[in-house]
Amino acid sequence: MKSKSLWKFGTREVVYAAIGAALYAVLALATNALQIPSAGNVSFRPAVVIPMFFGVAFGPIVGFISGFLGNFISDQIAGYGFWPWWDLGNGIMGLIPGLIAASIVSYKSGKSILKAEIFCVIGIVVGMGIASLSEMWVSGADMKTVLVGNFIPSVVPNLINGLILVPLLMIAYDAVVSRSGR
Amino acid sequence: MIITWRYHSHHSLMESFDPRTRWIFSLAFLFSVTMFWDARFLLFFFVLSFLWYFSGRTRWSETKRGWMLVSILLFTMIVINTLITGGGAGGVVPEGGRLIWPDGIPLPFGILWHFGLTYDRLWFALCQVLRIGSISAMFLAIPFTMDPRLYGVTFRRIGIPDKLAYSMELAFRYVPTLGRDFSTTYDAQRARGYELERLNTNIFQQIARIAPLVIPVTMNSILAGEDIANAMDLRCFGTRPREWLYELKFQRRDYFLLAISALMLIASFALTTFPLHFGKFWVPAFLTAFGG
Repeated sequence: MKSKSLWKFGTREVVYAAIGAALYAVLALATNALQIPSAGNVSFRPAVVIPMFFGVAFGPIVGFISGFLGNFISDQIAGYGFWPWWDLGNGIMGLIPGLIAASIVSYKSGKSILKAEIFCVIGIVVGMGIASLSEMWVSGADMKTVLVGNFIPSVVPNLINGLILVPLLMIAYDAVVSRSGR
Repeated sequence: MIITWRYHSHHSLMESFDPRTRWIFSLAFLFSVTMFWDARFLLFFFVLSFLWYFSGRTRWSETKRGWMLVSILLFTMIVINTLITGGGAGGVVPEGGRLIWPDGIPLPFGILWHFGLTYDRLWFALCQVLRIGSISAMFLAIPFTMDPRLYGVTFRRIGIPDKLAYSMELAFRYVPTLGRDFSTTYDAQRARGYELERLNTNIFQQIARIAPLVIPVTMNSILAGEDIANAMDLRCFGTRPREWLYELKFQRRDYFLLAISALMLIASFALTTFPLHFGKFWVPAFLTAFGG
């Protein structure tokens, strides 16, 4: 397997960043429309795994663009307007798992999956933390409010989604990599 | 699943501006409004943002969903911030202040509820409405009034790198294709007995059930992406600046709005910093007198 450069942004990265963003937007809209039961009044968005997985597979820049642009496009299509600090939070959620992209040899090894899970957790906490803290700047809410109203409701579902779906995507991607020899 | 863009031309004043001008104006507005907590200044921004919003001539049926989201956000902020936690509101509102119900609120069975809501915090809630309402009005109309074909060239001409702008352009073009792929996969899985909406499972099982949809769509896209990247490499992508299908040109009105944007940002900065220090949280005298 070729050695990977972490911050490279060549043709492949341009394409995968675009695909990641489009996938995030489509899956976010699709799962909104499907109304997954048992989620109660908490908004579960399984699409958040896309920036995390694209980060792990293709690097931090691709992860960041997938999250930032994907959230932006999804909001544009759903008609929610433009909330740059949440776009940024989603971008960071893809960027941080991407920091391990260069060190992964096999996507299905337990060590790689564990490393990816740890970085996904950090990415979710930091990304959603920054987005939630930005609400203090924008809407003047205090720390307790952003914790209860923004941080916890966004972190908990994203953690559940990320921890379950990222390993599944990594195992499936390992088969694709082995088959194509890329 | 058919994914369609929300945009269609409204032949409005807002749409007659160059998209770059609109983004710069909207971002200048965002940074300006967030410098203020004084309701008198916020009222100015509130009026300005709604004048801008109405210049887009969007219909209520289009923006209703976005306004619902904003209402939920505002409700959560104000109910939790002002009514439940009774916190210091991010350090904006000074501690203490006159209570609206200093003797508490009598409840049934002789219970007295000591409710710590002050006049200052109530006024702060109004400021939050003005500030979040202004920002929402500025940005909510964008999906309905900005042509998605122009996003790539707009951000390229604003100054983001060519590859990044192209990635954006590609993402916008790829959305309908992926929407179709998602539908095909969903139908194929349903034909095999897949049920996403099974009710008697917990949340972890529900998320795991998403996998038969997410994994094939993602892997197919990655495989297709290799072909796109190869085709682009064969056409020497990235060796020279890209030419864009649509070109943007500033008109006189764009320069005017850009000047207003710059003026608004500079004036906001000047007003809120040394030596003037305007724009801090302010409570009208009548409210404090009423409280006393």
